[in-house]
Amino acid sequence: MKLAMNIPLIRLLVIKDWQLFQKPLAAHVLAGLFALGLLGLARPWAFYLGSLLLIVVLVAGSCFAVSTSLLEERKQQTLAFVMSLPVSPLDFTVAKLAGGLLTFGVPFMVLLLGTVVVILSTPLPDGLLVYSLLIYGHVLLAYCISLAVAMQVQSEGWNIFAMIASNLLVNPLIMLLGQIDAISVPARGEDIVWSLPAVAILSAQLLLSLCTLAFTAWWHGRKAAFY
Amino acid sequence: MMAAFAVSGLCKRYPHFALQEVTLSLTEGEVMGLVGVNGAGKTTLLRLLTGIAAADAGSVEVLGHRLPQAQVTAKREIGFASEDMRLYRSQSLDWHIAMMRRIYPGWDDAYAASLVHRFDLRPQQTLGGYSHGQRVKALLLLCLARRPRLLLLDEPTTGLDPVARAEVLEALADVLRDERRSVLFSSHNSHDVEQLADRIAFLHGGRLIAHADKERFLDDWRRLLCLGSVPPALSSWPELAQVRHAGSQVEVKVRRWSEDLPARLSAAGLSVQRVDPMSLEDIFVTSVRAGGVA
Repeated sequence: MKLAMNIPLIRLLVIKDWQLFQKPLAAHVLAGLFALGLLGLARPWAFYLGSLLLIVVLVAGSCFAVSTSLLEERKQQTLAFVMSLPVSPLDFTVAKLAGGLLTFGVPFMVLLLGTVVVILSTPLPDGLLVYSLLIYGHVLLAYCISLAVAMQVQSEGWNIFAMIASNLLVNPLIMLLGQIDAISVPARGEDIVWSLPAVAILSAQLLLSLCTLAFTAWWHGRKAAFY
Repeated sequence: MMAAFAVSGLCKRYPHFALQEVTLSLTEGEVMGLVGVNGAGKTTLLRLLTGIAAADAGSVEVLGHRLPQAQVTAKREIGFASEDMRLYRSQSLDWHIAMMRRIYPGWDDAYAASLVHRFDLRPQQTLGGYSHGQRVKALLLLCLARRPRLLLLDEPTTGLDPVARAEVLEALADVLRDERRSVLFSSHNSHDVEQLADRIAFLHGGRLIAHADKERFLDDWRRLLCLGSVPPALSSWPELAQVRHAGSQVEVKVRRWSEDLPARLSAAGLSVQRVDPMSLEDIFVTSVRAGGVA
């Protein structure tokens, strides 16, 4: 497999994706910051409303990043324009993965850091940090799965199914975390406890995310042509 | 002269369509028109020529580069626009031009500006506000101003109103004055092809049914109106593509015209009343109806 890549053009395609989607993503970040503001009030009603809104914003941001960078490009037939540029399938795959990670990753990291700051600097229990990071870990994994499916499958129906199914699994995850004492009990206290189950779950989420992206890059990069 | 492209034994199979054994080449500086109905395989052939699609069998060489392996190098010298290709509706033409300028070192700003003026486009306006004709012209502008050595255009005039179509064809005619630039454009509108092309290729059902110089096509084909009854042996004459009754007359379409044909027809019992040249469209339709043999 020839690994020579057209780096300047890959960079240009990533910048293009960023320019195309930066305004809607900024709106997502604003909505997320509003949710964090509610969380920071540290009142029961504000906590439930804020956490619900934050999860909705994270899931919506993840779905938006996948659907605009790949599904919409396919639907609007701008993908044909991109493929006509001097890019190989490997260049295109790397650009899409990098662009996707940027458009999803920047708002994701802003909200993740915001969550850390809110938990540590407000009356919310600091132990909630581990619980929150595990939820963020799931959103990241769901995004990587949705992105991989979108790159592989053209059917809009299957893509919507992949996005909804992977993101909705956050509900059973929250329930599962609540059942694991090593995670749920410290979440109510002031100590940040990285128990074995918490480390195992987060490691699995990160490893699966990485493997999903690596497999997608390998699978598409070995193709000689787009069709 | 170098070949702008050469394909040999090209096959590409999809679930409901197959491009079969296409062998075709174009010398640098020539303009080839690819004529075929919808679904004939024109888009598939053009995708193979850009390296976007890989052939199941056969070879593709474009401007000396083997495809799809060297598609990145080849695509730097190719301008490709297809009917199913769209620009970003949320962005302006200026945004697209800035992007092209960064990708193609040979981007010609002065030429781009002249095309903006010629096509009467508003470069600051987002393309979502453009009409279909304006969007096609914008795409064409982005292809032409990169000064490609090979221009591949898939149905460039489809869906355009008569004025926009004339403007696009005029711009293409200007491009064709450059003797080093090669053009392959597909169309189901044979009038456009007849207007611009030096060479013609007919594609039907995934097969190349004919390819030759335009003048040779027009010289070879004739429509004869005759009186008399059709002798049964006429169907076996290889130079005749179609024989049918047209009212009280017999219409004979000839794929290889020769001066002695009227005399031979007369000897067979048909008296030739008129001999007319045929349009490219008529030649194409007759070729298809004759079973894909031109």
